[in-house]
Amino acid sequence: MADRRTAGTDVPAVQLTSISKSFGAIVACDRVDLTLHRGRIHGILGENGAGKSTLMKVLIGLVLPDRGTIDVDGERCQIRDPQDAAGRGIGMVHQHFSLVEPLTVWENVMLGDTGPFDATAARRRVAEISERYGLGVDPGAKVGDLSAGVRQRVEIIKCLRRDPSILIFDEPTSVLTPGESERLFDVLRLAVREENRAVALVSHKLDEILHATDEVTIMRAGAVVKRMETADADAPLLARAMVGREVSLRSEASALGLIETVAESAADGEDSHHGEPEGVEDDSGTRVPALRLRDVVARGLDGRVSLDGLSIDVFDSQIVGVAGVEGNGQTALTDLLSSLLSAEAGVVEVDGVEVQPGRPGAMAGAGVAVIPEDRHASGCVLDMTVAENLFLVDIERISNRGIYDPAVMRRDAARLIEDFEIQTAGPDAPFWSLSGGNQQRVVLARELSYSPKVLVAAQPTRGLDVGAIEWMTDRLREVADSGVGVLLISSELEEILQLSDRVAVLFRGRIIGEMDRADVDLEELGLLLGGAGAADAAQEAGVSA
Amino acid sequence: MSSQQPQPAAEGPETAPTASAAAPPAPSRLREAGEAAAMYLGCIVAALIVSAVIVWATGGSWQAVFSALLDGSLRAPGRWGETIGIAIPLVVVALGTAINGRAGVVNIGQEGQVMMGSAFAAYVGVNMGGPGPVVIVCLLIVGALAGAMWAGIASWLLYWRRVPEVLTTLLLITVASQATGYALKVDWLLLAPFREDRSVRNQVSDQLPGGVRLPRIDIWGNDFPISAIAVVLMAVIVFLLFRRSVWGFRLRMLGRNPRTAQRAGVSTVKYGTTAMLISGACAGVAGAMMLSGGDFGNYRFTPGFANNIGWEGLLVALVARSHPVGIVIVAFSFAGLRAGSGFLAATGVEREISQVVLALLVLALLVPPAILFIRQRRRALSATRDRT
Repeated sequence: MADRRTAGTDVPAVQLTSISKSFGAIVACDRVDLTLHRGRIHGILGENGAGKSTLMKVLIGLVLPDRGTIDVDGERCQIRDPQDAAGRGIGMVHQHFSLVEPLTVWENVMLGDTGPFDATAARRRVAEISERYGLGVDPGAKVGDLSAGVRQRVEIIKCLRRDPSILIFDEPTSVLTPGESERLFDVLRLAVREENRAVALVSHKLDEILHATDEVTIMRAGAVVKRMETADADAPLLARAMVGREVSLRSEASALGLIETVAESAADGEDSHHGEPEGVEDDSGTRVPALRLRDVVARGLDGRVSLDGLSIDVFDSQIVGVAGVEGNGQTALTDLLSSLLSAEAGVVEVDGVEVQPGRPGAMAGAGVAVIPEDRHASGCVLDMTVAENLFLVDIERISNRGIYDPAVMRRDAARLIEDFEIQTAGPDAPFWSLSGGNQQRVVLARELSYSPKVLVAAQPTRGLDVGAIEWMTDRLREVADSGVGVLLISSELEEILQLSDRVAVLFRGRIIGEMDRADVDLEELGLLLGGAGAADAAQEAGVSA
Repeated sequence: MSSQQPQPAAEGPETAPTASAAAPPAPSRLREAGEAAAMYLGCIVAALIVSAVIVWATGGSWQAVFSALLDGSLRAPGRWGETIGIAIPLVVVALGTAINGRAGVVNIGQEGQVMMGSAFAAYVGVNMGGPGPVVIVCLLIVGALAGAMWAGIASWLLYWRRVPEVLTTLLLITVASQATGYALKVDWLLLAPFREDRSVRNQVSDQLPGGVRLPRIDIWGNDFPISAIAVVLMAVIVFLLFRRSVWGFRLRMLGRNPRTAQRAGVSTVKYGTTAMLISGACAGVAGAMMLSGGDFGNYRFTPGFANNIGWEGLLVALVARSHPVGIVIVAFSFAGLRAGSGFLAATGVEREISQVVLALLVLALLVPPAILFIRQRRRALSATRDRT
């Protein structure tokens, strides 16, 4: 492998030529060319559905292309499976971790190896890699105890252990704090500059591409629309190429991953989205919040304490953004507000009335609507029709003494489908036949149809593309403007900053910092996300209590 | 975020919400029904051909075998009445199974619930006394309660201690079998009193007195108990429950996605237990109908009285994919095979061979729903894959 790496730089590490791949009638990749050079970080930018992941899956052997050729180090080859790719020196760090939590770091790294192995040597090797790249990972630590950022570094070690000459990173920063992202890019630069590896960085965030890459390929609808040196690019240019039309960087900054633009808009005082009622704080003593959580302790579905003394208020017409790195209790918070978990301690109040969250349907009955993080888990029934999914929560509305008329259901559903511009074959189409964005619309349409007091939106734009994100963002604002309190739980900081009136930071199951949107300081927020303010917050809580 | 789409363009429509409706077309119902029908036909024809070859290869006459099956189930005098008599408990058991299946709880202990239902019904029928119709109603109710109790044990263990209901319902069959066997051994329970004119004392219950037997309908020499009418009504009721009731809607929600159901206000314990109790009650009342109908055991409770009706009813529900109308049709087909198999002995074909023929025909009915089920799952899966 070493000699491969020292091969002349004019031979590209990877040359994909005219790759095409269709899934049924859907063309994922249409005659795509891509060249990765050693010593360079190549950004692959595109919206969801642009085909970048399919392209990477072709490279790693998870997807066989219909047409096109692959040359690795100037040698024509076919990559049949990930083992084959690994044999050719191609490694990939996936967006979602595949780690076994009860095992230690080095055990996770060794998983999948066959035959006898030397535990001490394995540990040493992990420690070595960790040190060389400054990853700071303890080989003996149990993965379950590690933060998302460290887990990702474990994934990187898994990949680097095989000493790949070509590295692929798929949306690596989605679970990292800004600081952790910065460290990741340092590692990438090290791997590229000093060891002459080739790196592909897949992302839909303009900031990342601009900061971390040397050259960039922009994909849209399965085809390459632009290829350029990153030095020659700027955000408006990239955004236009990616979306295929002029975009306002300001209004769509969160969808494009432009955190600084979002932050600036507040600094400029141009954060002019819906009129936040002035002086909410002043009133908060007397006004009854639409949703109030006080010192809530709850165990997640996995049995671990995931909410540990969480307190938060959401007033009507207000969007409260809960920021935080994934895995700090977001899922449990959503589950609690979905009547899926019981509170072991603390109080949950809706409009001043206490609710027992664990009772089936209690939260929905009290007027708490939820757009769940994983809509397939608790937001819909895939095997039921679109119409039925629109009436899951409040079928009583169209029933009389326990009997409902499917024709009435279908008619009402057709109206909602029109109102929310849901693209479907009709009310009787099975829910699973809808695309992700349209499924999300069904969920939103249903949740708003029973006139909720509070709307909980957990990662509402995850997996959607720019257009769909825009639509969802506008709806959330409308909802808040109509007087509903909105609790936005998101790990996309851009989204939180763009939408929220107040920002709360969730860390290890509690809110460790809360501030008005206008007072947000990015640096301070970044520290809070990493838990830096946890001690202060605890102190503060002690004082105020 | 974007790494998670195996079919990237599937998210496409959102980029241009104004584009023409781009949702993947859902296969039309008519076409699906046509495909299903073709599949059933194909499987049955294949089973008939294979059966014919087997019978022919072992020296029998396949024409005689099929003709005997038809004679035994439909053609010979009085036979379709017999077939209906057998179909009655199958339908009832299967309807109950459809209900618990809809709620996502498993009940495979119908055989035991049938035993309990018929045993309790026998006790009431023999010992209660009073006007016949009252006794009949009572024995049916008691049969239902006994079946519900038996299923209730499993559901109680499930929700109290999370004991898998697959195990408990199954194991309770053995308990039911032993318990009813014991009841047939002791005088104070079910064992018929000693009679001077019999030298051997059989382990059977007393026969139901004439007044507490279900009246039989006679059409052109084919007779069957009036419970047949009740059973058709039950199927219609279940059909409406599934189609139009909030209860049925919520039951399905629970079965298909318990978390969504919990959030929407469907209590797993409440709805799950209800479904299980109804399922057991159906099996129990099926047993009571078998006893008082006369097509099984000549109005006596005997060892092995359930005669696999519980198992076969479970099978009927599976084959009919829990559809109430389908259940009536499939139950009649299975009953026909059972009735027809009685005539196979006369064809001179070895018993083992004729059993293989029967099994092949059952298999032919089982394959299409299995394929349909797998296809449906796969479609749903491919729609959701990697979207988490």
